[in-house]
Amino acid sequence: MQNVVERVLNLLIYLLESPVPVTSNDIRNTVHGYADQNDEAFHRMFERDKTVLRRLGVPLELEALDAWEIDEGYTVDPDRYAIPDPGLNQEERLALSVAAKMVRLGGTEAGVGALLKLGGMERGAGLEPLAADLGEGPEILGELFGAVTERRSVEFTYRGQVRPVKPYGIAHRRGHWYLVGNTPEGERMYRVDRISALSVGSRPGAFTKPKGFDIRAVVNAPPWEAGADPEVTTKVRFDSDVAWWAARSLGMAEPKAELTATIPVTNRDAFVGWVLSFGNSAEVLEPGEMRKAVAERVSQALEQVS
Amino acid sequence: MTSQRTVSRLSRILALIPYVLDRDSADVGEIIERFGYTEGQLTRDLNTIFVCGLPGYGPGDLMEAYLDEDEVIIDAADFFAKAPRLTSSEALGLLAAGMAVIGSGEASPALESAVEKLGKVVMPGADSALTVDVVDNSLHVGTLRDAASEQRVVRIVYRSVGKEETTERDIEPWSVFATLGRWYVLGHCRLVGGQRTFRVDRIKQLEVADETFERPDHVPEPGVGYSPSEDDIVCVIDLQPQARWVLEYYPVEVVRESARSTRIRFHSPDSEVPARLLLRLGTDAHLVEGEEVAARVREVGRSLLARYQ
Repeated sequence: MQNVVERVLNLLIYLLESPVPVTSNDIRNTVHGYADQNDEAFHRMFERDKTVLRRLGVPLELEALDAWEIDEGYTVDPDRYAIPDPGLNQEERLALSVAAKMVRLGGTEAGVGALLKLGGMERGAGLEPLAADLGEGPEILGELFGAVTERRSVEFTYRGQVRPVKPYGIAHRRGHWYLVGNTPEGERMYRVDRISALSVGSRPGAFTKPKGFDIRAVVNAPPWEAGADPEVTTKVRFDSDVAWWAARSLGMAEPKAELTATIPVTNRDAFVGWVLSFGNSAEVLEPGEMRKAVAERVSQALEQVS
Repeated sequence: MTSQRTVSRLSRILALIPYVLDRDSADVGEIIERFGYTEGQLTRDLNTIFVCGLPGYGPGDLMEAYLDEDEVIIDAADFFAKAPRLTSSEALGLLAAGMAVIGSGEASPALESAVEKLGKVVMPGADSALTVDVVDNSLHVGTLRDAASEQRVVRIVYRSVGKEETTERDIEPWSVFATLGRWYVLGHCRLVGGQRTFRVDRIKQLEVADETFERPDHVPEPGVGYSPSEDDIVCVIDLQPQARWVLEYYPVEVVRESARSTRIRFHSPDSEVPARLLLRLGTDAHLVEGEEVAARVREVGRSLLARYQ
């Protein structure tokens, strides 16, 4: 590893300092660590080192050296290499340092790598009695996030089918990560942990996002609002033992005793299931058709146990 | 194969150099803390920097890097005046961490402005393309965190997860954590006389007492899991494909699985929870074993039907 670290540092310095693109032959003959290798060993080494550079965030590019595009050379633009200064003040750095230590992504501290590049962890970012684990590891999320920010199309396997998707955004909700994007069948949401065989398109700016797209509006709707049924306004009464619990799910103020709530519904199945999760402590009052739907579900359940 | 360790080590070197170059003096202790080094690692990295530089690799081409008493000295490294830009994984990690803490309702205004500034640099419009909501609701989280910090006893009115019943109990909160979409508090429960994990959203009322407690030297890692006991009611249920979400929401055991149905074993302290689940699933689930649960479904189901007819 020591050799690799030294060689990659030397390679990066050469690329940053060279005023013109350099060929792989230039690199082989110039940068310390590549000499004395046969062709095959050199190419293997060089491929590996390019991967390391990209994983470090170095914008390595290949450019034509002549009008006929016979020779190509590598280059790193120092301006594109340098991290832009977000202008964080001391207090903001400390707040980020604390957050980076508190939140885990796939078992690793989520934000520490980025913070080092931004100038390191601030002192005083000690242990908090508060922690959060966001599940999924950063690898695939990073790739998807890169595709979202650069507007590259992606393709992946999901439940045994290959899906082409224009990725619009990424959301963490109730313990899971989701990708929201456009497909030939319309806007869809995918659970990230079920995505496999991901490939990211090579062209940035491959699509435009609809104006005013906001990921929060897409994922924050409760299940009974996430559907395509014609909207029905329902009225539900919750007994006092569960009223506080229902009010929290509905995002309403906590009632003193029982609660009668008006709830708009666009997913009838999800709504009926949710009401029944309160057992005997909740009753749909209106409309009649929804009362019927609940009674029907109960009858079906009774048949399953008889 | 490129090891993650190689990349991490290089990444830290490329972050360290600009930090030191930017300052008149860099104290060793501060650098160690700021970049998460041990003294040995720092020395090794400085020695590496010291042997790298411009082609030619003569004395005037290499970077300077060494320890001078309590100071880290790096020079002749102008090409590394700035750290490399963030990769999308790094950017996502830090933004998600910031957003998760903001979502907990426990954030300082400084964190909100920091995330906003970061979003602008990482990508314009980041806030409309990334959202992190650890949990639906974070009521009580702040109070519990403060109580854990100050080691104060808390009296809670709690609605148990397994048994649908509400009890009052005194707890000694050790830590508060979020996982799988919910907040939990881990601590000692005086009612049962042992370590327990409580779901924060099921705490109906909460009162912080004046009394303090001694936190154990080793607080266990936060984690959630249902440990079945001998008194549990066990039932076996066949789920249709559209009811597979149950596997993600309840602590169940999968007995066997096929494309057409999934058979699960459901442990719970009483029959109420599986009974309600069966009621809401209708034809999407079929009870295979569990007479007590069947009886409870019939009882609740009939009284519901009476109500709706």
